[in-house]
Amino acid sequence: MQDKRRLFTRRDFIRGTIGATLSASLLGARWAGATEEAARSSLVTVVRDQDVMDAAGVTVDRAVLKRMLDQTLIQFTGEKNVKDAWMTLVRPEDTVGLVPTPHLNPTHPEVFDTVRDALIDAGVPTKKILAAQGEIGKAERCSALIALPALKAHWLTGIGTVLKNYILYSGNPSRYHEENSAKLGEIWNLPDVEGKTRLVLVDALHPLCDKGPQPDPRYKWAYNGLIAGTDPVAVETVCLRIITEKRRALRGEPWPLSPPPICVEAADKVYGLGTSRMEEIRIEHHGWDLDLLL
Amino acid sequence: MKFLKTALLFLLLFATLSVHEGATAKMEQDKPDLPKTVGVWTRPDSPRVVDGTTIFKYMNGAGELYLGYRFDHLEVYEYAADGQDNILVELYFMKTSDDAFGLLSQDWGGEPVTLSQSPLSKAKLTPASSVSALYGKGLLRVWSDDIYARVMAYRETPESKEAVLSLGRAMTANRKNSSPPRLLNILPDTIDSAWRLRRDRISYFRSFLVLNSLYYLSHQNILGLDLSTEAVTAPYERVTSTENRERVQLLVVKYRDPARARHALEQFQEAYLPEHKKDFVSGSMAENPNFFKIEDGWLGYKLYDKRIALVFECPDQGSARMIINQIQFVQKGE
Repeated sequence: MQDKRRLFTRRDFIRGTIGATLSASLLGARWAGATEEAARSSLVTVVRDQDVMDAAGVTVDRAVLKRMLDQTLIQFTGEKNVKDAWMTLVRPEDTVGLVPTPHLNPTHPEVFDTVRDALIDAGVPTKKILAAQGEIGKAERCSALIALPALKAHWLTGIGTVLKNYILYSGNPSRYHEENSAKLGEIWNLPDVEGKTRLVLVDALHPLCDKGPQPDPRYKWAYNGLIAGTDPVAVETVCLRIITEKRRALRGEPWPLSPPPICVEAADKVYGLGTSRMEEIRIEHHGWDLDLLL
Repeated sequence: MKFLKTALLFLLLFATLSVHEGATAKMEQDKPDLPKTVGVWTRPDSPRVVDGTTIFKYMNGAGELYLGYRFDHLEVYEYAADGQDNILVELYFMKTSDDAFGLLSQDWGGEPVTLSQSPLSKAKLTPASSVSALYGKGLLRVWSDDIYARVMAYRETPESKEAVLSLGRAMTANRKNSSPPRLLNILPDTIDSAWRLRRDRISYFRSFLVLNSLYYLSHQNILGLDLSTEAVTAPYERVTSTENRERVQLLVVKYRDPARARHALEQFQEAYLPEHKKDFVSGSMAENPNFFKIEDGWLGYKLYDKRIALVFECPDQGSARMIINQIQFVQKGE
């Protein structure tokens, strides 16, 4: 059944030694210790508006969504106007790929459209904005990527939001399930992907906090938010906190994600994609603050 | 002689055809009869049929859940209506009633609904005692003999809810109510009058991926679970004060034969309790419970014939011992 390499188990998580075990067994890579790391800081913005969706959580108000996106850009970049804000992230000569989530609580098409329209308004030619979810060739054609995942848990990887959003670029998504989900970070370092992600913008309008594997509307709720950053691990870590707190609130007791999302810490410690430590993440919130879960 | 031989052949052929027709008739009778229209919604004439070779194309990685049970095929209907969101009907035809039950047992949340006129089996119905259908926010989940069904309105309205429930009633009409898997009977309702079974968290399964989605042990299959095994897991709770409750997790696995059970326990011991490997002598452990203090409390296990019971997160050795010793490994009728 098993090969002879060290297995990692529930006990490793409880001991806090999952990193070392993963490193020794699965990843075959150096696991950076906390003391070796330089001080880091990543900004993640959370912009929410109670009116962005109807009461049924089905229809998106595009005008409200546009305001939220504008606020996100201003807040994240510190620029005074939206166009300048976008131009700190992309250039008009860029070919910009938008990468939404296609399955299980997919990204709202309104989010995709609003981002595309905002890029056009900022000066990126329409023909240079591509829908880039899918095979690696789509990423190859782009000089910049904007990740547009939707916030959700996942039954094989724990969380299935930011890091998993590029899984189709691997050409073999099933290779990244179960224990191999720890390796999701390596996809972000593929030659045609590495360094291209200018913004991670999470559609947290109507997240899914249980693992599925198929959507159950009882576990969807109106968070009515956009979560953004340039550090994918930091954004994922904030998403993980929101899902964890929502699960606790639903059941009135701890309800940990199972299996645990091992990809997040590995993306930090092995693949160097960003920080998974909440103390290194600066969260700036704007707008509706009821049940912020942060 | 030749005449007798020919007559015998005809007789055999007739008997075979009769059995085949009988089986076909039974399948036709058992197959849910979904209405062409429900409310303002109408379905296509024939379903989309998905089998084990095409399930990932239909639902990506979610297919692992169904292949973790004894899955036969899936029939998908989409009811549509002008100006209304669709209603999706998924009928999962499983090879046994136990497997269909297992899918429902993934989550006992939602509002229990009664769809069938006929009473459920008198057998001990462990989890939510008489529950075979649950509804919540537009999604109806149904266990009906060897079928597990999901009926989902993409937008919940009073009309769509009524249509969803009506479809549930139609698909369960004239179908028998089966008993839950017999293995569930191994779980006592209470242990030592203090530890109470969380009925709303009982799950039945066969796959380590499903186990990990319920109670994570390892990303690898350290208990040797597969489609030939049956497993049930549930927490027990003990209320120690108004604010404080202790919880342990019980897991029972039934293997095809005692040799597989013993081998699985050896694998588990090696993977989960490697520092105790020297204490583990496979030939001498049979039927003796073993207890270990690990990071999240006391772990106990016992092997009996083709079954293994394991309890996790016990507050002390005495609790672990008492819980393991209360398991009735042999059920009536076995």
